[in-house]
Amino acid sequence: MIKAALQLRKSDFKLEASFSVPGRGVTAVFGPSGCGKTTLLRAIAGLEPDTTGSLSVNAEQWLGVDGSRAVEQRRVAVVFQNPSLFPHLTVQENLLYGRKRLSKVTKPIETKELIASLEIEELLLRYPEGLSGGEKQRVALGRALLAEPKLLLMDEPLSALDQGSREKLMSLLERFLQEIDIPVFYVTHSSEEVARLADNLVLLANGAVSDHGAIEDVLGAVDGELSRSDAAFSVIEGQIATTQLPGLISVDCGQGIVLQLPDSTSVSGNRYQPGNAVRLRIRARDVSLCLEAPQRSSILNILPAVIAELAAKPHNGSRIVKLDIAGKQLLSKISEYSVQQLELRAGQPVFAQIKSAALI
Amino acid sequence: MLSQPDIAALLITLKLAATTTLILLLLGTPLAWWLATTRSKARSAIEAVIALPLVLPPTVLGFYLLLAFSPDGPIGATTAALGLPSMAFSFWGLVLGSAIYSLPFVVQPLQNSFAGLGRMPLEIAATLGAGPIDRFISVVLPLSKMGYLTAAVLGFAHTLGEFGVVLMIGGNIPGETQVLSIAIYDHVEALEYSQAHWLAAGLLLCSFLVLLIIYSANRRFHLMKTT
Repeated sequence: MIKAALQLRKSDFKLEASFSVPGRGVTAVFGPSGCGKTTLLRAIAGLEPDTTGSLSVNAEQWLGVDGSRAVEQRRVAVVFQNPSLFPHLTVQENLLYGRKRLSKVTKPIETKELIASLEIEELLLRYPEGLSGGEKQRVALGRALLAEPKLLLMDEPLSALDQGSREKLMSLLERFLQEIDIPVFYVTHSSEEVARLADNLVLLANGAVSDHGAIEDVLGAVDGELSRSDAAFSVIEGQIATTQLPGLISVDCGQGIVLQLPDSTSVSGNRYQPGNAVRLRIRARDVSLCLEAPQRSSILNILPAVIAELAAKPHNGSRIVKLDIAGKQLLSKISEYSVQQLELRAGQPVFAQIKSAALI
Repeated sequence: MLSQPDIAALLITLKLAATTTLILLLLGTPLAWWLATTRSKARSAIEAVIALPLVLPPTVLGFYLLLAFSPDGPIGATTAALGLPSMAFSFWGLVLGSAIYSLPFVVQPLQNSFAGLGRMPLEIAATLGAGPIDRFISVVLPLSKMGYLTAAVLGFAHTLGEFGVVLMIGGNIPGETQVLSIAIYDHVEALEYSQAHWLAAGLLLCSFLVLLIIYSANRRFHLMKTT
């Protein structure tokens, strides 16, 4: 477990974050700009000396009544938004900076293998100066992992990159973060990154944790902070179906649910081979409801569903409705007017029209 | 050409400048680091004190040092109590005077260099397991090379040209406390213009060369950074 109850006051900002998440897997720290995500990350790393409260990471006390453990004693590696390699060291020296300082190498992370899978073998003898943003960030990730941290912190590691490098690093992260046995805190304001990477979610708003827990619980809480915001979305897992319609990508989500997406992906490549596991992110505002099955619609995905739960009260004229589609949950955001007109209530069978879904 | 006392003055000057620079680099490093990183309110006051020699006439500084070196002064009383010879009119008195006089020329480049590093490289080094001294040696020193070169050259060159402080506290003892700038003054007083020329032109050339070294190193450094 990672348990935190942290307080920090900076001139015009107050952080008061209490949460506990499992001590493994990826925890996304999600929230709008300026809500204190980076400050929370720095407090966890020990880089904000004025932090008070308590913090324990897998039974190790990092902050508490016995005082604060120094940053260099925490074994917490950070990948910052701007890749900050040491300019006076070569890529190889950068990679080994933390590893050299380990009292003993406990986990057999194979340096060579890691360097190969990060695709940075060619760069080892170069200095950071001439590297591209994506290359630098991959080296920074390698440097963090080779230090065998007890907690890996990532602060919007993709946001300073161009689209191409971002997609490449994203695929790497998807693979790595699941494989490594190190808990990860991943700060982002992108719901796509949350949907692709996260197992747990900590929602931040104005320096306070508004919700936290397993991703499906936080995303599915109809009265939760996230559902009320414009960013409400659901994640459905599936795999690329073996039979495809022309111009479409079909995703088999099990239980006979097959979703169709326009094949507009220029990045497809190997990821979209039949049988590959994928996640779909569906925004709540892209899901509308009908009481009868619509005929001849341009909407590709119309699925029979049952209303599982309605938000207790409307928010800004809309209401969040949680649907059950053959055991999968899907949020729909519709106007309060429609809720009243259609007399929607829990347990009612409806048809969900999914206007768009993003393959992520 | 150079006479025997002139050569002695040259050697004393070089020894004085080298000793002073070395001491200032050692003492200036923690001082500059503190100034570059502290959030203390005392910082401005300390910075002002360090910068004083930039604006103060050297004779003022020399005058107060001379008072301090006198048997009733704080330094003089201490050296007497410890059974050491008086600092006045001695080489080590000159070192102390020069160190104070050249302090800003060493501290300021170091401070700027440390402040220019930003906190990022140090924070990353800390998260990768490097303790404070390790961070200083493995990150701060190599990234502050230019700052150290500038500090050393400026401190050295500034001590070479010192006149007022030395005259007040060192006197003019040939072979002991007579430095180049004072030797030049003596030659001019005695109307020995050609000997004054040798020393003056030598000092001019020497000063130009050290400054040339910094600026070309600076340029190379920048070129290296941008390629």
